[in-house]
Amino acid sequence: MADQGAADPGNNNNNTPEASEGTIIKVTVKTPKDKEEIAIAEDASVTQFKEEISRRFKAKQDQLVLIFAGKILKDGDSLSQHGIKDGLTVHLVIKTAHKAGDGGSTSASSSTSTQAGNTSTSSPSTNPSSTAGSTGTAAPPTQTPNILTGFGDLAGLAGMGMGSANFMELQQQMQRQLMSNPEMLSQIMENPLVQNMMSNPDLMRQMIMANPQMQQLMERNPEISHMLNNPELMRQTMELARNPAMMQEMMRNQDRALSNLESIPGGYNALRRMYTDIQEPMFSAAREQFGSNPFSALGGNSESGAQPSRTENREPLPNPWGPPNSSNPSESGGATTGSTSTTGGTNPSVSNPLGINPASLGNGMFNSPGMQSLLQQISENPQLMQNMLSAPYMRSMMQSLSQNPELASQVLMNNPLFAGNPQLQEQFRSQLPIFLQQMQNPEALSVMTNPRAMQALMQIQQGLQTLQTEAPGLMPSLMTGGVPGGIPGGIPGGIPGGIPGGIPGGMPGGMPGGMPGGIAGGIPGIPTGGGMPTENPASSPSSAGTNAAQQQLMQQMLQMFAGGGGGGSATTQTPEVRFQSQLDQLSAMGFINREANLQALIATGGDINAAIERLLGSQPS
Amino acid sequence: MDKNATRYNVQLYIYDLSRGMARNLSPIMLGKQLDGIWHTAIVAYGDEFFFGGEGISSCSPGGTMLGSPDTVVELGETEVSEEIFMDYLSSLGESTYRGDRYRLFEHNCNTFTNEVAQFLTGRSIPSYITDLPSEVLSTPFGQILRPILDSIHIAPPGGNVINGGRNV
Repeated sequence: MADQGAADPGNNNNNTPEASEGTIIKVTVKTPKDKEEIAIAEDASVTQFKEEISRRFKAKQDQLVLIFAGKILKDGDSLSQHGIKDGLTVHLVIKTAHKAGDGGSTSASSSTSTQAGNTSTSSPSTNPSSTAGSTGTAAPPTQTPNILTGFGDLAGLAGMGMGSANFMELQQQMQRQLMSNPEMLSQIMENPLVQNMMSNPDLMRQMIMANPQMQQLMERNPEISHMLNNPELMRQTMELARNPAMMQEMMRNQDRALSNLESIPGGYNALRRMYTDIQEPMFSAAREQFGSNPFSALGGNSESGAQPSRTENREPLPNPWGPPNSSNPSESGGATTGSTSTTGGTNPSVSNPLGINPASLGNGMFNSPGMQSLLQQISENPQLMQNMLSAPYMRSMMQSLSQNPELASQVLMNNPLFAGNPQLQEQFRSQLPIFLQQMQNPEALSVMTNPRAMQALMQIQQGLQTLQTEAPGLMPSLMTGGVPGGIPGGIPGGIPGGIPGGIPGGMPGGMPGGMPGGIAGGIPGIPTGGGMPTENPASSPSSAGTNAAQQQLMQQMLQMFAGGGGGGSATTQTPEVRFQSQLDQLSAMGFINREANLQALIATGGDINAAIERLLGSQPS
Repeated sequence: MDKNATRYNVQLYIYDLSRGMARNLSPIMLGKQLDGIWHTAIVAYGDEFFFGGEGISSCSPGGTMLGSPDTVVELGETEVSEEIFMDYLSSLGESTYRGDRYRLFEHNCNTFTNEVAQFLTGRSIPSYITDLPSEVLSTPFGQILRPILDSIHIAPPGGNVINGGRNV
């Protein structure tokens, strides 16, 4: 037990930095807010050290608590006793004087009293009342951390708390979050993706019908199904949902109309009946599905006497006696769309049945960080993913996607992974229909959640990697001929791999119901049916810099799919066999180069016309 | 060495956020084996402390939505009293560990745990935990995902935020 440190033989006891005999060491003293380097004699005592510190940190010595290696340095000790040497860090906490022996005070009071105690340990900017400071700085960083943490909570809840995750529950959680945070809802609504969705009445109706509660409701109240089938009404509702300002207008109008109703004899009863019969179950059903209540206005619409104006009313006070001009939907749709987003929906055309403007996809909802974390959570829980995929929304979404490959391909374009490589994009585009069909295959879905299958896939992946490095020339022939052999794990491995890939890419299906996660999981993993290897040497040189690694990764995933593509579509035939009829046709047309034909067919997935174009394009004549 | 000081036991709770999926999928996705996505918390004085998107939070040990930890590491003992520790945490929570300072890769729960562990016991947390972000970032996939992941804040629900209230 050393005393004041004066007893060390041959060592000068003074604590001035220049000692002749004792070595000076530099010790870093670290507070929560700050750190300083203090030079002190090696053999100094803790008291001396504290003196130095109190000078440097401008605090009183008895407020200083020094901690090193989990021990509190008491005044009677020496630095060397604790093993404090040059370059080490000692922790410092500056107490307030009156807290000695007072345990368990609240953090708020301790922080305010602490800041009263230490004046310059931290920079002056943090001095003003600490609690106010912390909340002050916490609030202004906009709503973004708000939503993030909201989603983080949600995602945490869903992904972690629910072992056997039910997608519906997740969805409900999401609704709740949405409802409690209007900011998020408006963000989602503003998203052109969502708006495009909503501008398609068929899609909307389909989704609404898919909700079992809705179906029950409709059985009980045929008026509701009547309402749903009325395109005018649907469109108006969607505009409403899209534009919160308009929605408020409508509600205001309706409220006014309803209050007028009240004054009519017997009107109050009618009102009440209206509410209990129709509105209430509609509210809950709609709330389940949409998170807001787009039907709130509709609920009383068909019954109430007054017809609210259908155009978006920008004046501060509505004019109830103004002409209820039911302007044609495209105009008001245009107005609304124009007011909320620039790339609105394109009119549905033959080739673009969903009426979705491809250019508007890709950004937005999926880049929202909240959704990212949600997707991440979903991807971490395979059960969840499976549930999600089997949800009715997914089915309809998949179907519409498979019918519209252009849409899906546009979506993929935005995926930064593919951005640098047009050839890859080409391939994906051509492979899309096959892949989408596979996604519909329930077997494929169930395999996706099978961890053993995924492990098998991993092994294959590793094997492929090894092969690729060992014998790059071997790969192409392997792929076209061999690997098909029905690897059931082909798709599952790609999907989880594809999910993070899908996250940066914008995906359709932007309903608050959380469908996005499934699609994002689905689309990025695209099978090639063996078309990959021929492009392999071509595309690798074409990519540059860091892209090369990314492309390679994608290629590996695709290679996995080559087998999955073969297995998933339940044919384990080589491309030659599969494309036999096409090959025959091509040769009948005069394309005698069978090899080239085959490759073209593989690249286009059996599409003769596209294959012909490829062949013609590659021949300079 | 015995100075009548009370000693408090300090533990490190390690959770795998991916519930085992990282172990299976990391070779495919990242090209290297990661045994888990680690979230850590310090348990001392009968409470669990961790840093998340909301700032420093505390709860009863194992009391977040994550449930029980995958691994518990004994960090040793500390002489630091609870009072001093709470002072320390408050200061941290006002400065470098505010909620908005959370960064998934550079300044996350494990950064906090490491710092607190060193404060309390002088020991660091196992390196496989602190090395995780750089491991991920050194893969091409990690680089691709970085902008997205950067904006994710992990905040396991079930804790009470120390100092400043929730960011809601």
